[in-house]
Amino acid sequence: MNRRRAAVLGLWLLALAGSALWLQRHLEVRTEMTVFLPPSATPAQRLLLGQLREGAASRLMLIEVRGSAAPDDLAHASRDLARRLRESGLFLSVSNGDLAALAAERELILAHRYLLSPAVEAGRFSQKGLETALQESLEALASPAGALLRAAIPVDPTGELRELARLLVPGEGPQVRHGVWFSRDGTAVLLIAETRAASLDVEAQAQAAATVRRAFDAGALACCGALALAGPGVFAAQARETIETESWRLSLAATALVLLILAAAYRSAAAVAICALPAATGLLVGIGAVALGFGAVHGITLAFGATLIGESVDYPSYLFNNAAPGEPLERTIARVGPTLRIAVLTTVCGALAMALSSFAGLAQLGVLTIAGAVAAGFATAWLLPAVVPPSAIRLKSPGLPRLLPPLPRAAAWIAAALVAAALAFVAARHDRLWDEDLANLSPIPEDAKKLDQQLRAELGAPDLRYLLVARGAERETALQRSEAAEAWLQKQAASGALAGFDLPSRYLPSRKMQEARRAALPDAATLERNLRAAAARSPFREGTFAPFLRDVARARAGGLLEPEALRGTALGLKVSALLVEEGEGWAALAPLRGVRDAARLGGDAAAAGFELLDLKQESNRLVGGYRNESLRLFALGLACIAALLALGLRSAGRAARVFLPVAGAAILTVALLLLAGRALSLFNLVALLLVVGIGLNYALFFERPQDEGDERSRTRLAVVVCAATTLAVFGCLMLSQTPVLRAIGETVFVGCLLAAALSAAFAARYTRSA
Amino acid sequence: MISGRLAALSLALGVAAQPAAAQELAPGELMRRLAAVESSRATFVETRHSALLKEPLVLRGTLTYRRPASLEKRVEQPYEERVAIDGDVLVIESRRGRKLKTSVSGSPGIAALVEGIRATRAGDLAALERHFDVGVAGRAERWSMTLKPADAEVARHVATIVVSGVAGRIARVEVQEAGGDRSVMDIREEVK
Repeated sequence: MNRRRAAVLGLWLLALAGSALWLQRHLEVRTEMTVFLPPSATPAQRLLLGQLREGAASRLMLIEVRGSAAPDDLAHASRDLARRLRESGLFLSVSNGDLAALAAERELILAHRYLLSPAVEAGRFSQKGLETALQESLEALASPAGALLRAAIPVDPTGELRELARLLVPGEGPQVRHGVWFSRDGTAVLLIAETRAASLDVEAQAQAAATVRRAFDAGALACCGALALAGPGVFAAQARETIETESWRLSLAATALVLLILAAAYRSAAAVAICALPAATGLLVGIGAVALGFGAVHGITLAFGATLIGESVDYPSYLFNNAAPGEPLERTIARVGPTLRIAVLTTVCGALAMALSSFAGLAQLGVLTIAGAVAAGFATAWLLPAVVPPSAIRLKSPGLPRLLPPLPRAAAWIAAALVAAALAFVAARHDRLWDEDLANLSPIPEDAKKLDQQLRAELGAPDLRYLLVARGAERETALQRSEAAEAWLQKQAASGALAGFDLPSRYLPSRKMQEARRAALPDAATLERNLRAAAARSPFREGTFAPFLRDVARARAGGLLEPEALRGTALGLKVSALLVEEGEGWAALAPLRGVRDAARLGGDAAAAGFELLDLKQESNRLVGGYRNESLRLFALGLACIAALLALGLRSAGRAARVFLPVAGAAILTVALLLLAGRALSLFNLVALLLVVGIGLNYALFFERPQDEGDERSRTRLAVVVCAATTLAVFGCLMLSQTPVLRAIGETVFVGCLLAAALSAAFAARYTRSA
Repeated sequence: MISGRLAALSLALGVAAQPAAAQELAPGELMRRLAAVESSRATFVETRHSALLKEPLVLRGTLTYRRPASLEKRVEQPYEERVAIDGDVLVIESRRGRKLKTSVSGSPGIAALVEGIRATRAGDLAALERHFDVGVAGRAERWSMTLKPADAEVARHVATIVVSGVAGRIARVEVQEAGGDRSVMDIREEVK
């Protein structure tokens, strides 16, 4: 008999060690945050999320250098940092407002000015048009900036470069002091860098961020300035670091706490090890199931694995607690097996909502919980009895039951009153329950998001609330629509409907438009005749404008401006942000500023064949969609749990008795979260199902008909041990820096505490009256 | 004889040099005198010499200054234009409706050209020294100040700005461009 037990235990340990080794060798751990970003439904949402994930905007790194140094020194530090970053080769572009650094862009604009300038039309090169141009050139020459403009006058008397200056210096950009971008309060310089690597390439993003830090440390302001970095790639790199350290720290802390609690309850190392076996089995099976189902395991899922330990150590506790003195565990399991089965299945139902979620991240957590709980349940029911001899393991905390006397009858009434009050409170707040902000679902910590918003506002990176979308089947047609949109938007801006806008066709006109502009340029003989007539009446010397004649002739004979020519420049950056390929077509995006009446503008835009996108509303709708999905899954999970209870307990009355305290705990939890100023996200919602799944275990333990005295106090002790392990692991999650884990930790911690308390309160009532 | 002449010459030189050294104007002293002016009005005649032009272009108009940072230049002849500096904001408006509004510190070139006049008028040595190497010559009642751009990019366009004046008044601003063009603005200023 003993040899058989040892053999089973040996085989079991061998299997665990083997699968642990296999996982260690083959498990791929991912840390990218997009699995916790929801997938998208409508084209507008795809556009929104596509930009969040892969768009040029997602590759932007916002850099701030703050310091008490003189503005001159800050400006110098900005130039120095920009130079170092450009030399690193890790960035497509680095902008700090320094026009001198935009040599490539100025070169490009100069070479293509007659294709880019919206002012180019035939009249501009007539004798009359040139007379006006020469008078303006004269005034420019004599103006205070004359010394700076002088060189451009013979090349560009019609002032196309002045017209195009806004392509380099957008009106809404940050303020420029000492030639570089400064924060509004004048104590920090700002830079934008576009990484060569995609924001999903966390490794490269971490390297880019480290390069910025090194460049800053090598600069003059390392001593007395502060560097701040923001942007999707930076956050992804930070999140990975957080997750990597956290998943280990949290799992270790939770495991240590659970072992401590078990040690206190059993006072035997062997007993603790035996209780840990089903949990370890569950964890390995759970991780293996996720690895098989998803190809890789997310770091957050691993950190969440700790919670599985908290749940699955409850099963052996329940078994040992119910074993009569001297009773073989096989006989115990035959008696309490059905209850244990219900406990496992309710947890599975609770996790079902997560497993079916369209968030890949949540689905992983769900699969981990389901596979893990089922495996731990089987291990407890089949393997433990084969390994542990009768009466070998008992809960030994004789002092504890006396510290936890049975609750008085009135407790049930007080609990019921509290739940009723909570229900009324939640009902009164029903319209303000939900957190509508997509940003709050993001796994980025709050202070990082704040920094990002602040830098975005400072840098005048558009807040991207309203976008006018002009679509086309190809790039060319989308650009033509963008040009139509420009004319339409100019009219709207003139009538005061909006303050300003930007468009991709400003930086890359459609081929059709470029051809029209090229065709507006007169031939050499005509231009020379017109110019001579105009110059005769001006103080300009004969022959001054030879470079102009040469450049017009060159533009007339030259090719069009192709998108490839813009690559790697600030202009290319703009175009790739504003002109995106989506689905089977292209979309030109026009970020709008100062929209007065969005509803009206949206209607007018639709009538003109454009689409006005309110990204805030769109993202709220997106979040609403996920919430509805989660609510459906929540309802499905609850229904499964209720059906399970009714079937398993073979009595609707008993099922209600088990279910009510837990439902009450869930309602109280929602009320407490709201009171604490939280709005509910779908993470809270999913966590509530976990509360129900885990809380039911306690209610089931209390509900089992039992005698007064010894057994009742043993039950209380068992529930205390189970609740303590659950609270310990979810308490650890509450300390997480990752919002998803923190939300789940908070909800389950509060919920399970309440579920245990309410179960005890209602149990007092049922057992006395039974 | 010869030694007697040399002695007389050296004596004469010494006599001539001594009072000049005693009255040599320190930049700080000049700035104090300029800074004492609260407001001023002036008429100007600006002559723009340029290789691009058949003959120099002559502008006439008025200048108005209010301490410390408000300066307005109105061109009246041969066309109308208003250039106003108020703190960091520069506005250029032409009669034909062309209007440019920009931040002075936004471009080092504009900042140097504008501050050369604004900071001189305000006696703001710190602001001048941010943009230029400042050299002062002459005496309090007849001085001249040479400004050489410190920024290499600006120096590509502007060689020197020479401001000369009498006591607390500015009489002439001469901008010598790196390419050989120059402009001379003669000013008749009434200060308060």
